[in-house]
Amino acid sequence: MLTYRLGMTRDRAGDVFSALANAARRRMLDLLVEHPGMHVAALGTHFKFSDVAVLKHVRVLEAAGLIVSQRDARERRLYFNAVPIQEIYDRWTTQYSGFWASHVADIKARVEARALRKAARRA
Amino acid sequence: MSAPRQIFRTVIRGSIADVWHEITRTDKPLPCFFNMRMHVDGMRPGSRLRMRTPDGAYTGVVGDILECDPPRRFAHTFQFTNYNDPPCKVVYELREVPEGVEFTLALEDVPVGTKTAKQMTQGGPIIVSTLKATVEGTSIPFMMRFIHVMSKLTQPFTPKRCASANWP
Repeated sequence: MLTYRLGMTRDRAGDVFSALANAARRRMLDLLVEHPGMHVAALGTHFKFSDVAVLKHVRVLEAAGLIVSQRDARERRLYFNAVPIQEIYDRWTTQYSGFWASHVADIKARVEARALRKAARRA
Repeated sequence: MSAPRQIFRTVIRGSIADVWHEITRTDKPLPCFFNMRMHVDGMRPGSRLRMRTPDGAYTGVVGDILECDPPRRFAHTFQFTNYNDPPCKVVYELREVPEGVEFTLALEDVPVGTKTAKQMTQGGPIIVSTLKATVEGTSIPFMMRFIHVMSKLTQPFTPKRCASANWP
């Protein structure tokens, strides 16, 4: 019998994965993690495409719940919202897979960091 | 120096009254707040707020209520008792939407580069997702269940400075 937790509906999960499937949108989230509260116009300066295209991507991310926008006096400020990703993690992580996945990710990060340091020393 | 505001948001399938109740109840430990129980001397601006272990022996968080506008907005200062960091501000906003309740947790004035900042950033998503699971009646995320168990087991090793006698 297959069961799954109902915290996130399948439709909502689809919105999140669709939003994350685009490289430019992932880069937008990276920027908002680094600079919470960035204005929409400032976000657009990091991309070569038009303002209309920027807004289209922002709307996709908002619809997926990955961005929250709040208006200050003049403009919209954008904030990354980690909760949809937390909900996806909660949905598919058991007490064992969570531990081992984290362990493996940690090993990967350490090995790759060491490789980068070695490459930098040789260069 | 304070970090920019951080926001954690979800939509909870439930009533606004149920969500409000779950973040302000004082009659039992709150699953979404790491099984701590909230103690207040009133639900109005200026009232003291304490988050204590279920047995009341230790206090993990202290604060003062800044705003209380049921069932839509609740804000208080927030300071960990085991760190020497200045207090920050926590704001809960609830808004009815067709799917249920849009719940937003906002963190403001979090001191940059501190242990408080790290804990708050890590805690935000799991607090919100656990609240959602609690109100919706689904299973609480494994990580929060693990934290509940570990908190109970490690309580004897809590620093003496966190004893509730020090934080009336």
